Amino acid sequence: MITFHEVDKFFGDFQVLTGINLHVESGEVVVVLGPSGSGKSTMLRCINRLEETSSGQLTVNGVRVDERKTDLNKLRRNIGMVFQHFNLYPHKKVIDNITLAPIKALGVSKAEAHQTAMHYLEKVGIADKAQAYPSQLSGGQQQRVAIARGLAMKPQIMLFDEPTSALDPEMVGEVLDVMKALALEGMTMVVVTHEMGFAREVADRVVFMDQGKIVEEAPPEQFFSDPKEERAKLFLSRLLNH
Amino acid sequence: MPDFSILTEYFPVYLEGFLNTILVSVIALIGSFVLGTIIAVFRITTIKPLQWFGTAYVEFIRNIPLLIIVWFFFYGLHTFGARMDGFQAGTLGLTVYTSAFIAEAIRAGILSVPKGQMEAARSSGMTYIQSMLHVILPQAIKLVIPPLSNQFINLIKNSSVLTVISGLDLMYFSDKVNGDSYATVDTYIFTGMFYLILTIPMSYGSHVLERRLAKSS
Repeated sequence: MITFHEVDKFFGDFQVLTGINLHVESGEVVVVLGPSGSGKSTMLRCINRLEETSSGQLTVNGVRVDERKTDLNKLRRNIGMVFQHFNLYPHKKVIDNITLAPIKALGVSKAEAHQTAMHYLEKVGIADKAQAYPSQLSGGQQQRVAIARGLAMKPQIMLFDEPTSALDPEMVGEVLDVMKALALEGMTMVVVTHEMGFAREVADRVVFMDQGKIVEEAPPEQFFSDPKEERAKLFLSRLLNH
Repeated sequence: MPDFSILTEYFPVYLEGFLNTILVSVIALIGSFVLGTIIAVFRITTIKPLQWFGTAYVEFIRNIPLLIIVWFFFYGLHTFGARMDGFQAGTLGLTVYTSAFIAEAIRAGILSVPKGQMEAARSSGMTYIQSMLHVILPQAIKLVIPPLSNQFINLIKNSSVLTVISGLDLMYFSDKVNGDSYATVDTYIFTGMFYLILTIPMSYGSHVLERRLAKSS
């Protein structure tokens, strides 16, 4: 469903991604781990071309993301994205945050968009906040709205860019629970996170990155109990010893 | 005390000018807002020719006197066969002139909306224009209400430039009153008063709006 082939990415002279090869199957949950600045988020953001790749091939659903002629809007309608800082539209009510893209980008009717939005709000457990503004919600609630907003486009893929990093610790759980439920339903997910528990429990595969490269790729039980690469061992020992 | 008989005697003359000034201001206000927003978006797109055009437009228009722009539309376009009366040429000139300042204000507003807003909108499959219209501009405009209202107040006052091309505005008719009454000071005291009737509510309204929007967000 998502295939990186020898993808490089430069910011000016600085190489952020080097020779990325990665394949994500439909229905798979891939968790990307690694230290800050290792290129995790950049790699994720290449998938819907929020960042442009410099060379190599990147294919999503058979469509070349890296080609100029690709219909970007069409591609993105099929890829939901959840951001670290939620990025809800502060001037719109929760319900309007969710219905905006389905109405404008998919052209569904207001009534239908509203119905879909309520369905997903119920699913993330905050249907009662439909008429509130984002600023009236807690961080965890805002992130759940953001997930509902992504889902309302009925995408085949969901991308999560450190979805719990900006949350108070007590709110992390409610967001992870929603993501877990989504994974169980068979959503294809690529998740950049520092939540090791989530990776261990939910991921089909863990991808470990360092300095712009994929250093190790393994099923979570293997990665956490017996990492092969020195850099991964060091990373895990630092995390787990605290 | 100014001589109020000037006001009562010439009231219909003042009123005609006053109403025309309102008309010019409303048309130029709407026109310069729309034009200024478009130019602001030009300046922040990644499309180079639009960027270049936007920058050239703002730098050029903003740095020449309004009077020259108005003269250009009134006399300059005659040479190309386009005939406009003073009112039309003045309104157009005022719109173009003000739009350059509005563009700068709105551009600053757009730039102060966090980058993640555009990313969220674009990543959900909306086009650049849809994202601008529904996500970025509504937030940007809230932020720039004070500078915008300053520009609109300037616009109302600047409309007095129409008098030099017989634009039938308040200043033009005030000149007529003066020419007839010879009571120069009194005449223009009342003229100033008419301008205040427009600008003070404008300024007050922007404060109220600003406070209300600050409360809602």
